[in-house]
Amino acid sequence: VEEIAMKWVKRIAIVIAVLLIVPAVTLLILGHRANAGLAQTTVEINASPDQVWTWLDDGDKLKQWVSWMVDVKYPDPQKTHGLGAKRVWTMKDENNGGALMRIAATFTEYAPPSLMTVQIGDTEGLFTGEASYHLVDLGSGRTRVEVRERAHYSEWFANLMEPLITPQAEKKMAMDAARLKQLVETKAEAR
Amino acid sequence: MRPPAWAQFVLWAVAGENQAEFVAGDLHEEFLLLCAAEGRPAGSRWYVRQVLRSATTLLGLRFRSGEAAHLVAAALVAVAMPLLLLDGLWSFVYSHIPLKDGLDRAPGFWAANVVCVCVCAAVCGSLAHSFARAAGVALAAAAGAACALWWSPAAVPWVYAGLVILAAPASSLAVFAWRRSR
Repeated sequence: VEEIAMKWVKRIAIVIAVLLIVPAVTLLILGHRANAGLAQTTVEINASPDQVWTWLDDGDKLKQWVSWMVDVKYPDPQKTHGLGAKRVWTMKDENNGGALMRIAATFTEYAPPSLMTVQIGDTEGLFTGEASYHLVDLGSGRTRVEVRERAHYSEWFANLMEPLITPQAEKKMAMDAARLKQLVETKAEAR
Repeated sequence: MRPPAWAQFVLWAVAGENQAEFVAGDLHEEFLLLCAAEGRPAGSRWYVRQVLRSATTLLGLRFRSGEAAHLVAAALVAVAMPLLLLDGLWSFVYSHIPLKDGLDRAPGFWAANVVCVCVCAAVCGSLAHSFARAAGVALAAAAGAACALWWSPAAVPWVYAGLVILAAPASSLAVFAWRRSR
């Protein structure tokens, strides 16, 4: 009886080990792919680049289409726009008990109405990254918005989980872009 | 003539190994008498009533004998804990999305939860050495899954909740039956 029990204990241990090791190794391998941490999406909006730009640049408008963003602060009231301007985005993290998380954003590229790149990083130092918004004028009052966001995680476990985080970040980004399209087009039509 | 299978299962699940056989035997005798006198529907109704009324008492006896402690531990370790740990892991993943996200989860994450629960409940079922214990483990696994779902911070879809609550005991019993057949 003891021998049979030991055989089962061994089998169970193997199953548990496989359940833990296989996903961990897969994540480790996937974490080394070339586009690790890169989330991107594209949306075509029936509005001119100028009309779209204000929705990217204005803090109050940003809160309307970026979900879970609750506040945008301007640390330097003298320089709220342009290259080197800084902002602090406050995000509500429902997955962390609704805690408010602050993300410092600094403009590293600012060419209205076509290109905006923002260096981002949370104030707790969990990640750093870069978000860029490229607006392409398609003519006839249409604009293609290309959003790219690359994140680097400082914690080893977050780094290991990166292959799971990035696709969800991309999905969230696509949902935000769809909301942006809806809002911009609704406002453009109202004019 | 047999009483309702689900009521028999509940009886075996809540009664301890020492009690289940005697109680089931006594109830079955009464059930047959009632069926002969008043028909099967009346007998079945009586059987179900008896099982439900005696469930808490039998469970109490099982707790006092120490047998149920193993079942509760099995449910916690095998089903509730992995589910809660996975929920924590998915919360961690979503919390690391640079611009954050809500409590909805990708279908792949729900599927991983179901697979993990099935494997863990199956492991638990494979350790049961009698039907009474296997039934108890299955019931405890379902209860553990329900508790984990209750505590989950995520927005749990009903389909997933139903699947987990059913899959946990089903896989536990399936492995027990398979082991027994060998």
